[in-house]
Amino acid sequence: MRLDSYHPTIQFIYFVAAIAATICFNHPVFLVLSYLAVFLYSIKLNGVRQLVVNICLFPLVFVYAGYYAFYHHFGITALWSNFIDNSITLEAFIYGITIGIRIAAVFMWCSCIFTIVSTDKIIYLFGRISPKLSLFLSIILRSVPRIGIRAKKIALAREGIGKGCRKGNIFLRVWHLFGMISILVTWTLEDFLESAASMKSRGYSLKGRSAFSIYRFDYRDRGVVITMFACLTVLFMAILLDQTKIYYDPVIVIHRITPMSVVFYLVYGVFLLLPMGLQSVGEWRFNRINGKKYGYFEVYMVK
Amino acid sequence: MAHFEIKDLGFEYPTSMGKPTLEGINLTIERGEYVTFCGRSGSGKTTLLRHLKSVLAPHGKLSGEILFSGKPLEDASLREQSFKIGYVMQNPDNQIVTDKVWHELAFGLESLGYDQKTIRLRVAEMASYFGIQGWFYKDVAELSGGQKQLLNLASIMAMQPEVLILDEPTSQLDPIAAADFLNTVKKINRELRTTIIITEHRLEDIFYASDKVVVLEEGRIIAADNPRKVGEFLKDEKHFMFAAMPTPVQVYYGVPNEEICPLTVREGGEWLDKIFVEKEVKVSAVDEANAFCEEDIAQPAVELKEVWFRYEKNAPDILKGVSLKVPKAELFAVVGGNGTGKSTMLKSICGICRGYRGKVWINGKRLEKYKAAELFYENLAMLPQDPQSLFVKKTVKEDLQEMLARKEQDRAEEITKVAEICEITHLLERHPYDLSGGEQQRVALAKVLLTKPKILLLDEPTKGIDNFFKLKFAEILDKLKKQGITIIMVSHDVEFCAKYADTVSMFFDGGIITTNTPHKFFSKNSFYTTAANRMSRHIFENAITNEDVIYLCQKNL
Repeated sequence: MRLDSYHPTIQFIYFVAAIAATICFNHPVFLVLSYLAVFLYSIKLNGVRQLVVNICLFPLVFVYAGYYAFYHHFGITALWSNFIDNSITLEAFIYGITIGIRIAAVFMWCSCIFTIVSTDKIIYLFGRISPKLSLFLSIILRSVPRIGIRAKKIALAREGIGKGCRKGNIFLRVWHLFGMISILVTWTLEDFLESAASMKSRGYSLKGRSAFSIYRFDYRDRGVVITMFACLTVLFMAILLDQTKIYYDPVIVIHRITPMSVVFYLVYGVFLLLPMGLQSVGEWRFNRINGKKYGYFEVYMVK
Repeated sequence: MAHFEIKDLGFEYPTSMGKPTLEGINLTIERGEYVTFCGRSGSGKTTLLRHLKSVLAPHGKLSGEILFSGKPLEDASLREQSFKIGYVMQNPDNQIVTDKVWHELAFGLESLGYDQKTIRLRVAEMASYFGIQGWFYKDVAELSGGQKQLLNLASIMAMQPEVLILDEPTSQLDPIAAADFLNTVKKINRELRTTIIITEHRLEDIFYASDKVVVLEEGRIIAADNPRKVGEFLKDEKHFMFAAMPTPVQVYYGVPNEEICPLTVREGGEWLDKIFVEKEVKVSAVDEANAFCEEDIAQPAVELKEVWFRYEKNAPDILKGVSLKVPKAELFAVVGGNGTGKSTMLKSICGICRGYRGKVWINGKRLEKYKAAELFYENLAMLPQDPQSLFVKKTVKEDLQEMLARKEQDRAEEITKVAEICEITHLLERHPYDLSGGEQQRVALAKVLLTKPKILLLDEPTKGIDNFFKLKFAEILDKLKKQGITIIMVSHDVEFCAKYADTVSMFFDGGIITTNTPHKFFSKNSFYTTAANRMSRHIFENAITNEDVIYLCQKNL
């Protein structure tokens, strides 16, 4: 039901498009839409804690705008002057707000990405480009934490013979740290030889490697992709019609809002809220099918 | 047609200077056979096994011929060898390449370039056969050692090999995981007719299942026959490899009788029934020392009083009120399953893990009162599970010198002395990583001994060591004990503890359950005990080692 139950390509398209739109569309309506959508979606995904985070982020937008206006002085509508007689302008302040909102929105998007996209999906996406590259990433993801664990083991072992780097004077500590690193390097290399043998023995060097994935692209995924691309096409038209832009320097220049632009706004809203809508509908259906015996909490757990 | 035919194989490493590692090997392995290779470390087992798969074959001078399904092995392409010959190595961790279980299962199939559909089916099949579904999506880092090795096996089996070569696959596992693993191997052999070629230290679990046991010594085959014949041969030759035979075989040959040689504990029990049929058991127990009594220890080397420990504030407790008194100059063994907190207890004794409740006394003085330098010099020392974690230098000798402070370089004779105790004098110029597991263990021990400890803490010292090294290791520990050193070891190795420890404790769920002398301790247990005890407990009261059983049999017959 959640977006992570869809194919990784869809997650990829959605987040790339959403973040790109959030950053590039500086038209206030679009910005507010992005901000509200991600505000809601991140709470839907991460629960009450995210609400607290999002609320805390909000004042920072104005703090940033204040900071921005204090150092940038374009625009013609002077509000007042600061202590070195530079004028604080309305345009700069508003522009600061838009940047602040964008930063806050991107931050919230990232929290959604952390929840939805796991490393193996990234690996899968790379695997579409090159199987070797994705394998390489996977190997790195395996070895880096292992090196950390090994370092801990060594530190412990050295401590057990009184050569740890937590005790003694500073020189001794540094000296012991060097010893540790040296062991770590030798040990890691030595172990890697064995990994290499295991890879060779399973035909790593053969030509024509394929990349296996546990994901399937089904009809549901197809429907979602079609909807998303339809939305993106409309939005692309909006870009071509210059509906997503606003100019601040020297005066605020904004497109007139026509019935056409309302359509664009609607489409943008649909696109951003699509995963959240699908999730909610899925949960509602699940609830209905299973009657009232599942409360909200269980549904939340099932996802 | 034989599956593998080895004809007059000889091999010499470039560095071995005229001394061949393998010599005149002639062997035929039929399809579906279960063949066990045994021999002490350095007898050429691994070298021979590696030659059975061309990509893994070491470089050097090779003579003779290896035929695979009637054709020379080198004629089989890399692709053919990759999927027909599976190879499982010692270390479960190092063989795993990717970060997810499902990806690891698919790794070999990806190499062969199979499409999604085929891989999906094969992976599903393997996960179901090996019971991996439950951890299919997991990170490999979350798996236990046994699970990791099973994953290695499954990811090789996914390629549907005809031959499975296993080089000491369970040496890094605890006994329960090891037995599970070897049972799976046996199942593969029985159900799929996969040819199994295996080397193992722990012959108990595979000896009886083997169709053929091959004994290697200094690169030559000295025996290749069915298990019973090999046992008989080794006994007749008074060969040192006899010490590696499973308990029932050793006991059988220690007692004059006319029956067939038993191979398993069950057969051993039946055999004892037969030889004692209509005979009265006059002496049913060996003499033993007085029961362990904690109150009698006047000056314990180490004392723990209700120590509680957890790694993080909100984590579960690892130690739950451990109390323990270790008498001086004794070998004190703590046995127990994986993850019960045994190692953590050792760490809390030497202050690496500080309990948040309870007290620790070292030689009658509170642990907190010691300065760091005092604690680890001429007092306490811990031998870690992985000896590699101690090796810094290029040669063993330099590594030992590292332990001495710079102004003490003239203490060279000390190194000589320690090297003698640990029997590593001949290894001083070698690189620590070139040594076998048992040798590395002893070098690490030597290194630890240079801190002149009075109390020695050993964490799984017998892991991955073959029986001869264990014997040697026991001798070393005995020497140390005579010098007044107290030794505390935690171990899975029930047989070792039964034979050599003075006191044994059972550790479970963060605490010591019971402590007693080995005889009292193991004869009371019915599962967690030695093979000799399980085999003889219905006749004798407290026989826990092979020697006990043999002694009692001789007394009564």
